[in-house]
Amino acid sequence: MNYNLNKPVTGKGVSNYAAFKGLLQLISHEKSKLAVALLATIGNSGLNLLGPLLTAYVIDTYVMHKQYHGVLVYSAVLLVVYLAAFGINYLQTKLMGTVGQRTLYTLRNAVFHKLQQLPVAFFNQNKAGDLISRVNSDTDKLNQFFSQSLMQFVGSIISMTGAGIFLLTLNIKLGALALLPALLSLIFTRLLSPWVKKKNAANLKTVGGLSAEIQESLSNFKVVVAFGRRDYFMQRFNEANQKNYTSATAMGIANNVFLPFYSLMSSVAQLLILVYGVHLISTGSFTIGLLVSYIAYANYFYSPLRQLAALWANFQTAMAGWERISEILVLENNMGTIDDHTRQEAAPLLEMKQVHFGYDEGREILHNINLSLEKGKTYALVGPTGGGKTTTASLIARLYDPVKGRVLLDGKDIRSFDPAERTRRIGFILQDPILFTGTVRENILYGNEEYENYTNDQLEEVIRTANLEKLLGLFEKGLETQVQSAGEGVSLGQKQLIAFMRAVLRKPDLLILDEATANIDTVTEQLLSEILDNLPATTTRVIIAHRLNTIENADEIFFVNDGAVTNAGSFHQVVDQLMHGNRH
Amino acid sequence: MKQPSVKEKKPSGIFGLLRPYKGLIALLVLFALLGNSLNLWLPKIIGHGIDDFSHGIFAYEPLIIKFGLAALLIFVFTYFQNIIQTYASEKVAKSLREQLAEKISRQSYAWMEQSNPSRLLTNLTADVDSIKLFVSQAIVSLVSSFFIIIGASILLLTIDWKLALVVIAAIPIMGITFFLVLKKVRTLFLKSREVMDRLNKVINESILGAALINVVNSQQREYEKFLDANGKALEFGLSILRLFAGLIPVIVFTANMTGLAILALGGRFVIDGSMTIGDFAAFNSYLTLLIFPVLVIGFMSNVIAQATASYQRISGVLNSPDMLETGTLVKKLDGSISCEHVSLSYGEKPVLKDISFSVKAGSKIAIIGPTAAGKTQLLYLLMRLTKPNEGAIKIDGEDIAAYESESFHQQVGFVFQDSVVFNMSVRENIAFSDVVTDASLEKAITTAEVKEFTDQLPEKLSTIVSERGTSLSGGQKQRLMLARALALNPKILLLDDFTARVDTRTERKILANVHQNYPDLTLVSVTQKIGAVTHYDQIILLMQGEMIAAGTHEELMEKSPDYVQIFNSQQSTSNYELQS
Repeated sequence: MNYNLNKPVTGKGVSNYAAFKGLLQLISHEKSKLAVALLATIGNSGLNLLGPLLTAYVIDTYVMHKQYHGVLVYSAVLLVVYLAAFGINYLQTKLMGTVGQRTLYTLRNAVFHKLQQLPVAFFNQNKAGDLISRVNSDTDKLNQFFSQSLMQFVGSIISMTGAGIFLLTLNIKLGALALLPALLSLIFTRLLSPWVKKKNAANLKTVGGLSAEIQESLSNFKVVVAFGRRDYFMQRFNEANQKNYTSATAMGIANNVFLPFYSLMSSVAQLLILVYGVHLISTGSFTIGLLVSYIAYANYFYSPLRQLAALWANFQTAMAGWERISEILVLENNMGTIDDHTRQEAAPLLEMKQVHFGYDEGREILHNINLSLEKGKTYALVGPTGGGKTTTASLIARLYDPVKGRVLLDGKDIRSFDPAERTRRIGFILQDPILFTGTVRENILYGNEEYENYTNDQLEEVIRTANLEKLLGLFEKGLETQVQSAGEGVSLGQKQLIAFMRAVLRKPDLLILDEATANIDTVTEQLLSEILDNLPATTTRVIIAHRLNTIENADEIFFVNDGAVTNAGSFHQVVDQLMHGNRH
Repeated sequence: MKQPSVKEKKPSGIFGLLRPYKGLIALLVLFALLGNSLNLWLPKIIGHGIDDFSHGIFAYEPLIIKFGLAALLIFVFTYFQNIIQTYASEKVAKSLREQLAEKISRQSYAWMEQSNPSRLLTNLTADVDSIKLFVSQAIVSLVSSFFIIIGASILLLTIDWKLALVVIAAIPIMGITFFLVLKKVRTLFLKSREVMDRLNKVINESILGAALINVVNSQQREYEKFLDANGKALEFGLSILRLFAGLIPVIVFTANMTGLAILALGGRFVIDGSMTIGDFAAFNSYLTLLIFPVLVIGFMSNVIAQATASYQRISGVLNSPDMLETGTLVKKLDGSISCEHVSLSYGEKPVLKDISFSVKAGSKIAIIGPTAAGKTQLLYLLMRLTKPNEGAIKIDGEDIAAYESESFHQQVGFVFQDSVVFNMSVRENIAFSDVVTDASLEKAITTAEVKEFTDQLPEKLSTIVSERGTSLSGGQKQRLMLARALALNPKILLLDDFTARVDTRTERKILANVHQNYPDLTLVSVTQKIGAVTHYDQIILLMQGEMIAAGTHEELMEKSPDYVQIFNSQQSTSNYELQS
């Protein structure tokens, strides 16, 4: 399956509407809150619009006729209106904001949850920097929209609608004229939006590229220094930086196109109202007071419209970010669990039957693999580098599914096992050990629920029983020794020791060691092989190694080369083959 | 009183950043001011129009011309202003990133280890972005806002000073409310930044550790970690929101109250006849003009605070002392090495203690020892990636610090323990230096037996390998690393556990190739396998940072029991290897 986000299968962008709908689906459970918030917004806008209406009335009826008493009465009325608006405004801001924040929360959870569901292939096909940029900075684009713009967005639309209705009801002809420039703005927006969105999407892509470039260069800095290639770092960086600059400037210009135009339209509307209004007054069908408030209403209509112009660009950025996020959300894990009720007595622990596999379509790496692993035995996979050993092991642990053929655990398709069950039974010590920043204890108990709540003393007891205490002794502060995920504080050999302890403590039925001791000295390695020998008699071991001593005690040895697995026979035969290259 | 003294310091920070863009910023401010002054003029034109009408001297033409011209000019000015502010902010961001990258590229490896790559990533992305926001929005907004507030106030005062004072009185009320709320918000922002950092850490770890998470099925656990951090982020988001939810209604209410005051008082003045109805209308318009800038200044003060914090972090990187690149010596190396009483420690923790040995040019030495003995650290010292705390390392009799960095690194090859593959073609990955010629590239590829597997790649040497090199196996990557080091045609080759991931047969072939094709090479090899190095000129045994023994294989077999123990641990396999 193609998990590469930068080579999407469809290759076509989603429309604003479709993207927004997808987003709405995500917040469907907030419907009731959203409805109340919307009501509050309508109420607030209505009350705020009532102000100018009352003011106009006061000017026409009282100020023009010099009745100060009426002015005072209506001022009191206005005060009540404004107080009510104050309360409702508070409610509106709070409710809308809450919905926004909760949506962001849900969204982040959804993205992260999806990341956790996707198989290893997804992470191999995408650059870490780009993924981090999608989850962090693209969700943040949405965050900015939700926490800052959404409220104004909805508020502005509602104020505009309200003001628009007032404008039309007060005088239909004048209203239509006043709204004409707005219509032009709308057409203008519709015409330009696809272009603006494209510029935004292009920019987010270069941001992802820049972040991937930085991530790669910074984490490989020692090679850059050792090979005197500081210029390489600069050159690659400058290229990405330049690309980002170009796309960001293009985006900035695109995003800024709306506001000046909207302002112009707003001025045009005022002028139209004034000219036509004066004309109407001179024909006697309009009053000065109404004209004053009419101009105010036009302001109430056009200043949110101007805000919308600024927000619209924001909205486009958010939608472009949302699209990049939904590219992750729509990915489906093609490694689901299937049903398999076959019952097979006396099946080997694990079997590979006519397995074919390739990482990319069309390029097969493993051809027709058949092997069977018995309970309690030790197997070794040997062969030249690049022959397919790690790939075979990854299929046994179901990091990938075969393209053709089946992998059986206890005679049942391995795909029918629940992941928790499968990973409990199959332990895999990876070639590149992975550590999390924290203590040795946290790292060896990672993913291990059984001992999670043990005290250090209890845990040390467990470690003693598993014969691991000498390994733990190699860390100066034992369980509480601090380790970092990156950097040189911990040597590769020590990382491998931690990974080893982590896997052994899980007590798997099948333990795969993929060159898991390659960087550990031979004395310590003897210790490790003693520990392996003392694992329960039922534990099956699969060892991938180049060093012959580590596979000396194997019951059976498989030779893996050119994507084929063959039974290599005895240890002596293997040595012979390895030494003299009689592989075929 | 305190305000100015603080301000005097700060401009050298974030505002000083703008100095190289003086012209651009001046132009930006100019367009903003022009646009805004015309904006102030518009309500006046309308007010006059209404007055003229009520006095019966209304004429369409001049009004339309004046108004139309002003509106058109506003359009032009704001458009230019927007374009300039985009250019200015992107230019500032680009150059800031360049400066940072330039600075980082000149730093030592030790510095990089200390300053933590993920923090530098934040400096280069999020921090630069918040400064970009400052340039693109804060500058223009602040200048225009102050201009409008002052301009509108003056205009109001000239129309009717009594009524104007009522309106202007509203400004400090709003200002104080803002000040109080934003002060609280800022501390919350800082705290929520920390939560965001934690959130990012969980995300990063889960992406980089994806394989492990799959193997131990800890997805749920990672998700819970994430939920916890995300929940905290939500809490902070909501607390910030609560503050804003209080702030905005207060501001709107204050504005409304001012409007009410205009109606009540202004209405009285109009009835008195001390104010025209047109002025009354203009007052209402100016009020709406006046409120918005106050809001803007409030929000921008926040943008400035965030940009200042970001700039402080960036300055920290920019002002960190340059790597002491004192070396100027450029010469062709012979390749003799001597270590004289070298000690190294990380903080309190000693890594290497008083190490002394010497290597003749063209000879081969091996360094063996248990896990965490300091073997890799010793190689890093030889490579000048780190500096010893005590003692000196000399090459050809000169302290290695005396050599000019570039020419030094072009003559010393290093094969790292962990493979680093860049996202480019196999060929570019190998020819990772300027000094690589076609001939030296060819020789390196043959020596490291790289052809054997690159021939099977879809585009041979031109195949692009992915970031973490997942399309290559561990052993293939290691051979690529060797070829990269050999392509320099080095005088000294440092191997860090090179053979760990390469099968024995290939390993023998490769080492024989190296011996044959690079006969004058000084070889320093960290290894676990004694069998492969028994014929070396010297073997050094390191344990817990101390040099336990040194000598040829035979000598060590006689005098070092620790060595014998390691040898015995490999005995069974060595037998096989010797027989073959």
